[in-house]
Amino acid sequence: MSSPAQSSSAWPNVGDAPRASSDVRLSVEQVSYAYSANPSQAPLFTLEANSFQSRPGEIVAILGPNASGKSTLLKLIAGALAPLSGRVLLDGFVTHTLAPRARAQRIAMVQQETPLLFPARAWEFVLQGRHPYGRSLRFENEEDVLIARNALAQVGAEHLSDRWMNEISGGERQRVILARALCQQPLLLLLDEPTLHLDIGAQVDLLATLRRLAAENRYTVVVVTHELNLAAEYADQVVLLQKGKSLRVGSPASVYQRDLLEEVFHTPLTVEQGSNGRPRVNLLPTS
Amino acid sequence: MFFDSTLRAVAVAALVLLFSDAAICASQATADPPLPAPPAYRQVTDEIGRTIRVPQSIQRIVSLAPNLTETIYALGLQDRLVGDTDYCDFPPEAQLKTKVGGAVNPSLEAIAALHPDLVLVTKNLNRLETVNALDSLGIPSYATDPHSVEAIIVSTERLADLLGAPETGTALGKDMERRIAAIKDRVAALPRRSVLFVVWTEPLISVGKDTFIADALQHAGAVSVIDSSQNWPHINLEEVVRLHPEFLVFAESHPDDAAHTTDTLAGLPGWRILDAVKHRRFAVISDAVNRPAPRIASAIEELARQLHPEAFADTPQSDKDNASPGSPPPAKSPLQLAGTFSAPRECTCAQ
Amino acid sequence: MRPITLQRLLLQCGILALILFAVVVVALKLGAVPVSLYGLGRDLISVLLRQTSQLSSGYGMIVIEIRLPRILLAIVVGASLSVAGTSFQALLRNPLADPYVLGVSMGAALGAILALIAEPHLALPVWLAALFTPLGAFLGAAATIAAVYLLGLREGQIDSATLLLAGIISSSFLSAIIMFLLTTLTGRDFRGMTFWLMGDLSSPLQSSLRWVLGIGFLVATGAIYTTAADLNLLLAGEKEAMHLGVDVRRVRLVVYIAASILTGLAVSVSGAIGYVGLLVPHVMRLLFGSDHRTLLPTAAFGGAIAVVIADTLARTVVAPSELPVGAMTALVGAPLFIYLLRRRMA
Repeated sequence: MSSPAQSSSAWPNVGDAPRASSDVRLSVEQVSYAYSANPSQAPLFTLEANSFQSRPGEIVAILGPNASGKSTLLKLIAGALAPLSGRVLLDGFVTHTLAPRARAQRIAMVQQETPLLFPARAWEFVLQGRHPYGRSLRFENEEDVLIARNALAQVGAEHLSDRWMNEISGGERQRVILARALCQQPLLLLLDEPTLHLDIGAQVDLLATLRRLAAENRYTVVVVTHELNLAAEYADQVVLLQKGKSLRVGSPASVYQRDLLEEVFHTPLTVEQGSNGRPRVNLLPTS
Repeated sequence: MFFDSTLRAVAVAALVLLFSDAAICASQATADPPLPAPPAYRQVTDEIGRTIRVPQSIQRIVSLAPNLTETIYALGLQDRLVGDTDYCDFPPEAQLKTKVGGAVNPSLEAIAALHPDLVLVTKNLNRLETVNALDSLGIPSYATDPHSVEAIIVSTERLADLLGAPETGTALGKDMERRIAAIKDRVAALPRRSVLFVVWTEPLISVGKDTFIADALQHAGAVSVIDSSQNWPHINLEEVVRLHPEFLVFAESHPDDAAHTTDTLAGLPGWRILDAVKHRRFAVISDAVNRPAPRIASAIEELARQLHPEAFADTPQSDKDNASPGSPPPAKSPLQLAGTFSAPRECTCAQ
Repeated sequence: MRPITLQRLLLQCGILALILFAVVVVALKLGAVPVSLYGLGRDLISVLLRQTSQLSSGYGMIVIEIRLPRILLAIVVGASLSVAGTSFQALLRNPLADPYVLGVSMGAALGAILALIAEPHLALPVWLAALFTPLGAFLGAAATIAAVYLLGLREGQIDSATLLLAGIISSSFLSAIIMFLLTTLTGRDFRGMTFWLMGDLSSPLQSSLRWVLGIGFLVATGAIYTTAADLNLLLAGEKEAMHLGVDVRRVRLVVYIAASILTGLAVSVSGAIGYVGLLVPHVMRLLFGSDHRTLLPTAAFGGAIAVVIADTLARTVVAPSELPVGAMTALVGAPLFIYLLRRRMA
């Protein structure tokens, strides 16, 4: 495990740079999947072959309307589901065949949260991120505490350490959950709609934090989101899904085409080029 | 949780089972009885103080307790018994009578269908709800409630009066008195044995001081170490060790069960430190002792013989304990099958 | 940030062990026969030195033969129920889960009764005969918890209210079967069962059963404790636990089997003692936090303390008669359960 200790020197914007295969950390190769209620029936939902690659320090945004297969693709990347065909490689390991512990040392997932049954303090929650590194009966040591403190600091949540998880705001809670993921010292940080239920300020905050962490800690970040403009602003690569099909993969500028987005999201919109070279989507009133 | 109350009901039912080994027989079909002649009624008071109105001549009786069924047979009135319970197994012919269900939960419909002149109940076994339900159906019921051996005799005589057989009742009562007095003559001078009457071992249930069983023990020259005012107290084992009974008394319908129980106790922590268990001083008698009916006299004699064998050295155990003069035994005379079975165990001679 | 340390855990357990010791001493003193502390100490020492002939009085035997084994039984039963309750709460992600409330105790009771019925017909070797009733109780517990789990699912998720309802329904269904069996069976072994069903520690155990109970308790509790850290995460949600490196299937299987063993053992020797598995873990969470690495051992001590106190009351309050210990725990437990339920629903 090496990522957090590495240098925090700024990583150049790699959005459209050609990829050297040696740099590739995450490689999604022709991954497909099918859900069906029962094996003799036709699948209810199919995710067709998907491919993209990503390097350390990059943020990949998976976009698409509801039921387009975003979360399924994320689970396939996380190794929680075994693909029907193809494979997901993380530094050369097939993710779904890794043992749970080994997988958790490489991949951290931030999900829409499950309510806690018993109250826990933020620091207890963050320390759970050290679980993949301990044997079942191990008690956390000084090093674990240091890593947890550091993780809280990285997301700007040191002051929340002793607060109860059920007594802090949604944005604060999302930070603590992110800190727990950092505690896993992952190579790959996966987020499933992390901005859901957050106000716009907290959303921007969270993505700015992700951008900074990806650069500092050399994480590869994959985030599922509905926020087209936030994705355009912060992602290096965008995967656009529709009904289980991967329509386009590439830099925001190359994916954000007016015709394409209008067709996928069924709403009139315009796309303009921002001053920083990133596209911006404006919804038009439907008449 | 709500099933606690139902469990308690089962506990009661289980205690009921104790007093009669359940032997469920197929019920007989009964023809509808002829309509009775316009009855003349009389008022009587039963043993729990209720005043009831019964026909002058009681021809159709339903018994809701095994001891009452036994008493009716002992009085020779079995022809008038038109129904009894699943647990009425003595004498064995009683099993052939029409069944109205269990003692705790008899079928009111089955009772009503028999058109009884009188239903007999006993307080420590039947429920007040049953009596009230019978009242509301206009079926008279008579309750007995004996708490001592004397009361069993009086109760038997009163019941005989009520049913129109006073001479048989008096004769039966006299016979019971005579036999009990004869036992008393033999054991009165001897020191009383302190005993623990064991109803169950798991958990340990014994009898309280107000029960007829405790009184029956007295007549057999014994005294119960338990002095509880509850009828069926759950006793702490330590208390038994402290009270130091000389004998453990078991009432069983099957001698093998008792042998199994006593063998088990000898190996159980706690029980095995009891002197009575160490020296295997067990008295095992017929479960007739559990029923307040005329047979109790033979149960008392059985117990007296085991606790005080020296007092009975001159007389071998009678084979006709159960045949009372008031009720000539039925043709096949199977009575002695269940009445007495156990010769004193060798261990009872210790001390 | 004060993560749990081994020292802190040992300190907590040490305090609870001292309380348990004090409770045991008082329990040893109380009973039908009064015993002085001095006599008690001397007797215990002579027993430890295997000089049983040196016992101070005839009453020493009562303490050693009856009171002490019963107290030890209460300790093991209390700890088992409490650890089983803690495990079920984590396994089912339901803070109101408990072997009694979920009907698992009744399932174990039915299993034990069926084993008792079957045993005489099977001509088993002696060692298996001693194991047979606990084995039946274990299978009964395991089958019930599986059934209650499936009944408690709504759209693939465990639903708290549905689960509790499923438990109550199972409980009443199983007790109906038990009632049917107890009223139709006539062998003498079954007569006292209704008392046992209400929770009863008064019947002494065969020594072979003591070994089964002791070893079973240690093995099952140990197995659950190896998953303590996993249970913390499982409680936060299965998916999250999986992403944090928990082998969810393995943990659930281990805890499911071990908690069923604990329930089966406890029920086979003491019947259905309710609410211990529900309330003790809650009290321990309030005192020491909800981390299972501390919760499991402290709940074991707490359960032992609670049942020793309850059983001491059961055998002394109406002395020389006894109350069922299940009645004592329900007396305190049922109102507390309602309180917790209302607080949760609010």
